[in-house]
Order: sequence, then C-alpha cells, then structure tokens
Amino acid sequence: MESDNYEEDIKMSNMLTVTHVEKYYGNKGNLTKALDGVSFSVQEGEFVGIMGASGSGKTTLLNCISTIDKVTSGQIVIGGRDITEMKSRQLSEFRRKQLGFIFQDFNLLDTLTAQENIILPLTISAVNHREALSRTSEVAQTLGITDVLLKYPYQMSGGERQRVAAARAIVSKPAMVLADEPTGALDSKSSRILLESMEKLNTELSATILMVTHDAFAASYCKRILFIKDGQLFNELIRGQKTRREFYAKIIEVISLLGGDVSHVL
Amino acid sequence: MYYKLAFRNVRKSLRDYLLYFLTLTFAVCIFYVFNSIEAQEVMLKISTSEKEILKTLTQFIDYISVFVSVILGFLIVSANHFLIRRRKKELGIYLLLGMKKSRVSRILVIETLFIGAISLGAGLLTGIFLSQWMSIFTAKIFEADMTAYQFVFSMSAFLKTLIYFGLIFVVVIMASTFAVSRNKLIDLFSAQNKNEKPAVRHPVFTVILFILSIACLGVAYQQVLKYGIKDFDYKLLREIILGAVGTFLFFASLSGFFLKLLQRFKGIYYKDLNFFILRQINSRINSAHISISFVCLMLFCTIGILSTGLGMNRAMENSVTAAAAFDVEMYTPGGSTMSISDDLASKGIALSDYTQKSYEYADYTNPSILGTEILTSDVYDKLKKEYFMGGREDPVPFIRLSDYNTLLGMKGKPSLVLKEGQIAFSYSAAAQGFRDVVQEKWNRTGRISLLGKEYAVYPKMLSESVVSIGADSSLAIIVPDSFLIDSTGKVTDGFAAYGSYLQFNCTGDSKTAQDKLEKRVESFYGEDASSVEYFVVTRNVMQASYAGTKAIIAYVGIYIGLVFLLTSAAVLSLQQLSEISDNRRRYLVLKKIGADDRLIDRTILRQTAIYFLLPLLLAVIHSIVGLRVANDAIRSLGGINAAQNILITAALILVIYGAYFLATFMGSRQMIVREERNE
Repeated sequence: MESDNYEEDIKMSNMLTVTHVEKYYGNKGNLTKALDGVSFSVQEGEFVGIMGASGSGKTTLLNCISTIDKVTSGQIVIGGRDITEMKSRQLSEFRRKQLGFIFQDFNLLDTLTAQENIILPLTISAVNHREALSRTSEVAQTLGITDVLLKYPYQMSGGERQRVAAARAIVSKPAMVLADEPTGALDSKSSRILLESMEKLNTELSATILMVTHDAFAASYCKRILFIKDGQLFNELIRGQKTRREFYAKIIEVISLLGGDVSHVL
Repeated sequence: MYYKLAFRNVRKSLRDYLLYFLTLTFAVCIFYVFNSIEAQEVMLKISTSEKEILKTLTQFIDYISVFVSVILGFLIVSANHFLIRRRKKELGIYLLLGMKKSRVSRILVIETLFIGAISLGAGLLTGIFLSQWMSIFTAKIFEADMTAYQFVFSMSAFLKTLIYFGLIFVVVIMASTFAVSRNKLIDLFSAQNKNEKPAVRHPVFTVILFILSIACLGVAYQQVLKYGIKDFDYKLLREIILGAVGTFLFFASLSGFFLKLLQRFKGIYYKDLNFFILRQINSRINSAHISISFVCLMLFCTIGILSTGLGMNRAMENSVTAAAAFDVEMYTPGGSTMSISDDLASKGIALSDYTQKSYEYADYTNPSILGTEILTSDVYDKLKKEYFMGGREDPVPFIRLSDYNTLLGMKGKPSLVLKEGQIAFSYSAAAQGFRDVVQEKWNRTGRISLLGKEYAVYPKMLSESVVSIGADSSLAIIVPDSFLIDSTGKVTDGFAAYGSYLQFNCTGDSKTAQDKLEKRVESFYGEDASSVEYFVVTRNVMQASYAGTKAIIAYVGIYIGLVFLLTSAAVLSLQQLSEISDNRRRYLVLKKIGADDRLIDRTILRQTAIYFLLPLLLAVIHSIVGLRVANDAIRSLGGINAAQNILITAALILVIYGAYFLATFMGSRQMIVREERNE
C-alpha cells in the first residue's frame, strides 16, 4: 500500500533541491571556498552520482546534505523541508527518518548479526518489532543476503558486508540514500554485486540514491552524474538510453577534461 | 616546555583523570586515617593497658597496610595503564614529530608527579580532617571519655603515607616508561580500528553452565545455613569453594543465558538498544567475567567485613559492663585457704589505700553436679548449636546467699530473697537469647532435683554480675547458706571450696588507682605470671582486652572493607571505561545512523548500571545468607545490632560505589561526545 503511493509520487517532485550553497572554511584573511555556489536538484527515484577529485568539495557537499555539516549560505531542501533551518535535535530525527547512509568502511557493528545490524535504524526509531523483522527480511531478500542474516560481520565476505550495510541504509524507507564511496573498500567483483544491488534498489524499490565516488566504473551505474571541481559544478552527464559501456566511455572523457585526475580513476 | 606540555595535558584530559584522581585521593585518605589511629590517643582518657592495646592495634594496621598498599599499587598502576592506552595516538604524534622516547616518558613522568602531588595533598587533607572524627569512633569503642578537643595529627602516618605512595608512584612511572619504550609507532596509531571476533559460545553450553552455577550456589547456601560457620572445618571450606565456583560460573554464563532468554521475547529484545547492550556485554564477558566475579566476591567480603567491623562498637557491650563486676577482683583457684587480703597486708599493700569496703568469699563445687546435668541434655544440645558452650560441662559453682547479697550490696543493688526450699540461678555472662532458652525451660518445670532433693527454682534467672573471673561468670547456683555450710562451719558432704575471691571498687580516681595497684602487685611478683599465687583482674584490664578485641576487629574490618570497596568500584569503572574507549566506534556508528544523544545516554547508562549492579546484587544475596549465619554465631558474644550496621554499610557502599558509578557514566558519555567532535 505504502509503496504504491510512493511510486505515484515519483518523477513529479524534487526530492532534493540544493540552491546556491556555499561553504567557507577559515577566516577573512585566509578563506577556503569548499563549495562555491552549487545548485542542482535530484528528483524522486533518481540515482545520481557526484564525481570529483580529492579536494573538489564533493565530500563537503555530501556532509552538508547529510546534515552532518552546516552550510555557510544557501539552501538545502530535502523532501520539502529546509534542513539548513533545523535545530540539532530536529536534525537527529530527520537523519533517522529521512536519510539512509552507506559508508565506505561499511560501519557494521561487529557484535551484532546481519539481521540485528539491519534492524538497528528501525529500533532506534522505535518501530514495532514485528514490522521491523518483516521489513528486514524483505530488504534482505531484495539484496540477496537472506543466507547471511544470522551471521556476524566477520563471517561474511566484503561484498556481503557492504550489502548488509546497504540493507541497513534503506530498511527505514528513507527519502534518500546517501552513499559515500561505497565501493572504496571492495574488490571489483564485490563492487559489481553491490552496484547491481543499488541499481535494483533504485529500479525496483524506487529508492532515491545520491552516491559520491571517484570511480568511473561505479559512476556508470548512475542515471545522471554531476561533476564538481573546486567547489563548483563543472559538468553534468545523463545516461539516457546509452548502454553502461557507452556511458562509462563518456565518463572517462569528462574526467580527462577535468584534468589531472586520471591517475585517481585508474 | 615539557612542564608546560604536561600541565596542559593534565588540564585537557581532566575528565579522564577524574577517576584516577578520585581513586588516588580516596586511597591516600583511607591509608592516612587508619595509620593515624595511635595519634588519637591524645584526645582519649584511657588507661595504660588500653594504651598497650592501642599499640598492638597499630602494629596490626602496620602489617595490613603493606597488604593494602600492594592492592592499591596494582590498582593505581592499572588505572595509569588505562590512561596511557587512551592516549596512544597523542603519544604517537609526539614520536612522529621526532620527539625522543625518553622525552615522551619525561612528559608522562611530570604528569604522574603532578597528579600524584595533587592527589596526595587532597587525600592527606581529607584524611587529617576525617581522623578528627575518627577519634569519636575510637572513644566509643574503648568506652573512653574524650578530653577537650585537640588537633590530631600523626607525623608517622603522614610520613608513612608519603613513603608508601611515593613508592607506588615510582612503580607507576616505571610502568609507563616501559609502556612507551615498548610501543612501536605503528601500533600507537593502528590501535583504534580493530575488528575483533566476538567470542560466541554454544547456547546449550551456556545454559548448562548457568544451571550448574545456580546449583553450586544453591548447595553452598543450603549447606552453610544447615551447618553454620562456627566450626572451621572441611565443610566450611567446601561451602566457600562451592560458592566461589558458583559465582564464577554465574558470571561466565549469565550474559549468554540472558541473551538466549531475551531473544525469545522479541518485544523486549528489540526495544531501544537492548540487543545492542546485551551483545556488547556478551562480547566482553570472556575477558570481563573473571574480574566481575572477583569484584562480586570482594563486595561480599566488604559487606561482611564492614558490617562486622562497624558492629563491633556495639557488640560485647553487654559483656564489658556486665563482666567487670568490680574495679578490682582477685582470685585463688583450687580450694586454697589463703586469705588474699592478709597476704596483701603482709606485703605492705594496705587495701584501705584503695577502697573503703572490700569483701572476700569462697564458692563451692560438687564434682557430681555438672553444668550439662543442670541444663539437662535437651536444652544443652539446643544451645550448643548456637552458642559457644566451652566449660559448661564442668562442675557448677554454688554461692551462699549471704555472700551474694553482700556483693549485691556493694554494687548498690537490692538483696535477693529466697523462700524456704528455693534456689536461684545466675547466668550473668550469657547473652539474652541464651538466658531466654534456659529461663523458658525452668519456667516449664519450676523445680529441680539436686542430690536427690527437690528444690523450687527462683522464677527469674539472675543476670547481675558479682564476679567476672573463674567459673562463676557463666552458670552459678545461689543457695541458702545452710545448703553449703552448717551452723558449726562444716562444709556439706560432697562439696569443697573451689576458689576464694576478693572484690572491691576503688575510691577516688579509679583508673589511676587500678593502674597503681597493678604496678604494686607486679613489683612483688615480677613479670612471671606463674609465680603469682592469685590472679588480679582490674576493670581497666578487662575493658582494655574487650575494647582491644573490638577495636582490632573493627579497625581491621573497616580498613580492609573500605579498601576492597574502593578496589571493586575502581576495577569496574576502569573496565567499563576501557570498554567504551575500545568500542567507541560502535557508538559513533549508532549516532550516524540517527540515534540521538538521549538514546545514546540511555544506552550507556543501562550498560554501566548492569556492570555495576550485577556483581553487587549477587554479593548482596551472598551476604544475606552469610550475615544470617554470622549473626547466629556472633549472638553468643552478646548480640550485634545487625540491621543498623547493615544500614551504615549500605550507606557507605552507596556513597563510594555510587560516586564511581556516576563518574564512570559521565566519563563514558564524555568520551563518545568529545570523540565525535574530533572526527
């Protein structure tokens, strides 16, 4: 029921609107502009990648969107709510209910089984345990990790761990999933499985995903890619009807335009 | 520069150091207070014999202080070790910047000295302050009057504290220098993110362990309740071993057992972060259960020792006042016909120098009338279970009514009147509970048969003490004069004089007079007790020996009890803090996922509470059983007001344990909040 309504809303509204966001570090004498007037928007049900070199400001951008950091000026609206106006307790609740996180280093709790790791956000939001358990197994099925539910992280492969982390990110049905270099710690095979899972989340569950990466291969799974350089939007690529391979070639092209960052990609 | 760095470090990590500081200050304070007992003498009006006892007590405390300083030393070294571990990264940065290891050590040394100096100062100050109050307690134990207030300061205790803790700090400094020199730079940095394998035990195994532990404890409790603790034999040893094993198994299996149990109640398991807490504790229990078990047993000892120690100022209270019937009592055993007063006069000691009225008399025994017989075997057996019954199988002493009444008169008490054919029992030294049992029996029969003749028993058992030494202090029978000696002065057949007694109260300053008389008699007989033809017992000596026993049990008990309490609380606290410190990442993940500060606080609070309450809870259950048994044993010494002592003990535990609990909770919270800020 819930997911039906959810699907109807897709493609109509902006899930995320970033308007002229600036983030400065330092003082008047020595000012660093980490973000210098970034504006873009993400629609509901989109899978958007943000690419850029180290120091380009992509992580700062993600931190601002994920409410961990505050902007200097500008506006970030997620699901119709302006997060730059919120107070710290509201932010904590907002983070819990509206956002799901996938971290580079998994951040699974090693004392808990996969199932308990996945259920954690629901427990924190005080969701009834029956509903929580059924949602957990639903998500696990989607991501193909039903077998490892009773295992501890140390008993799983890297790919399984990251998929458990992904399951944890979406189990609370967040408005948006934020992924920070999710393939950073994975080998290529595990990366592929994870990315396919994320693609599946996006297409089957219509999850809105915003992924920060500097890996062109990972980025090729997105529907749209924003390139960021020196705190400003530099380029935008839309996959459209292209195959993934063609899209990948396009991405590599843009990266070489960005300059000096090829070594990062390869 | 190093000083500046060290000072800044201490100030910066003040919260980390708070517990360390608290522990050190408590330890120094306790150490000083107990070592300064002898100095409290200046505020007390006590006799020479009591001064002797105070010296013995000080010696006792001396020995125990060595033991205590070893315990405290270990505690302080491990607390320091924890602090260094917390700061590995910081130390790593110094090394990375090119500072020599010796320099880094020097910073640590300065820090240690700095903290040491402050806590020594604070501990000594509180110690000196508390020792003023302590003299009130001492006065109560010795039942001594206090002189006008004088400032009590013990130089020897002060120096001793400085030396002992100085040594401990030297060890601490060596340990931290060693820790720095042994560390490789890479270890200092990578200490943070280790993904450890949680130790998972098989659930069936855990359940079996848990059942086994409950069985062990159950058997131990049942055994100890059945047999009591009066006899130190293999049974008691078996009970102790069973109890200890049960305790260890209990903590080894508890978390696993509860985990399995609660997983069946999903509503509770998945509520808040309960499953996180359970998993967290379960993952640590392999290394933690041993120390938790030790803490539990130590707390059990603390409760037992402290409440006994505190109770000592009231225990035997009856005995002291009742037992010392007169200021001076002299006694010749074995039917000697020597007159004590004549002998004293012949040696140039005039009794009139000491008293206006003295009285000399004899008691009689009949070898065929034994204590067991008088009490009858059923009562005797009943009493034997709860009271020490030594010497009660001997012949029962008989005292003439006229002698008894004269002594009563000297004490200013009304005379005893016996009807024709009536005799009375005196049982002055026994505890009230003991008297009740015997009284109840005689109330039932009302008559007793002696040497084939029936006598009516005086309805009330006499409790007024007229003599403190010899056999009379336990069971004695007061009979009409004619029962023992006829009008011609002939002793009844079968009876013989057992001992002669000379009793009197001193006039004037009794304590000084007693001391003087003791010295005079000693000067005649020398130190060799075997040459003394009669025993001299003064109230001073009696009181000193009672007070001495009381004081030694009390002070040693409270001293060790407090140190155990401090150690238990500090060990738990260190353990919990290092756990939080090691697993900080997990809490930060919780925060990133969206757990707000309140939920994190609640989680830490519950976790800390479980760590602190579980060992205490089991220790309390142990103590309920233990104290029940102990009370039965102690009652024969004159009854302890158990409830009040337990309340005081509980209050002490609450304050010290509570302080550590709070400090631990706040420290843990701080660690997570601050750590997040640094990321």
